[in-house]
Amino acid sequence: MYVDRMTEATDLAERAGDRDPRVGLRAVAALRRLLERLEAVQVRSARHQGWSWQEIADELGVSRQAAHKKHGRQ
Amino acid sequence: MFERFTEVARGVVTGAVVHSERLGADEITEEHLLLALLDRRGTRASFALAALGVGDRREALEAALAESRRRGGLSKADAAALAGIGIDLGEVVSKLEEAHGEGAMRSAGRRGRHWTGHRPFVPGAKAVLTSALRIARGRGDRHIGDEHLLLALAAHRGVVAEALADHGATYTAVERAMYGGAGGGANPGLAEAG
Repeated sequence: MYVDRMTEATDLAERAGDRDPRVGLRAVAALRRLLERLEAVQVRSARHQGWSWQEIADELGVSRQAAHKKHGRQ
Repeated sequence: MFERFTEVARGVVTGAVVHSERLGADEITEEHLLLALLDRRGTRASFALAALGVGDRREALEAALAESRRRGGLSKADAAALAGIGIDLGEVVSKLEEAHGEGAMRSAGRRGRHWTGHRPFVPGAKAVLTSALRIARGRGDRHIGDEHLLLALAAHRGVVAEALADHGATYTAVERAMYGGAGGGANPGLAEAG
């Protein structure tokens, strides 16, 4: 079952020019996962370097509260 | 829910907690559930895994899981999807490791241990437990055993199912090894991995 999906995913990626919405949707989902990881790494790094939540939030383009709520417990 | 788990299945859940601690993780993931499942001997899941040749390939399986941890938990299917829109995940990981050290993405996205010291199950691992319940119910089984946990892990899209599939244990193969050719399992209709 999973192998089928995996092969399917690879085929889909190879036919990226196709208009199958699954290709684009899966790429968006994967990108979102990647984005979350990258954001966590960068925020943690900034905190280690002594950045305030306000400074981090400004760079991310979000409110201080949003940044703190999302990453505050790290 | 746990009152319907067999002793073996409960052992898998507590074993997952131990693996999480051993690996220094803050949470309990599907990966820890799989590792705990692989520790079991003489159980239904272990027989199925042995029949599929997975039991002997534990090291290779663990290496595959470690590799996906390095990619921040993104699966090969994710990597293929990203490649389709021109993003080379391997390259992103390399750049990040250049700047932040090896394994930079490994524990990213994980919140710190809760102040009570409680080690939570990630949503994906919780979903596996509920899936196991649903699979058992779908088969008309009254109790949830490690065979249902294995089926749930194999069906739950993500790095664990991918690693299992790469080592010969797709959902279909596991089901066949466990229940014979007929299978008879309705599509469990599982949720996506987080």
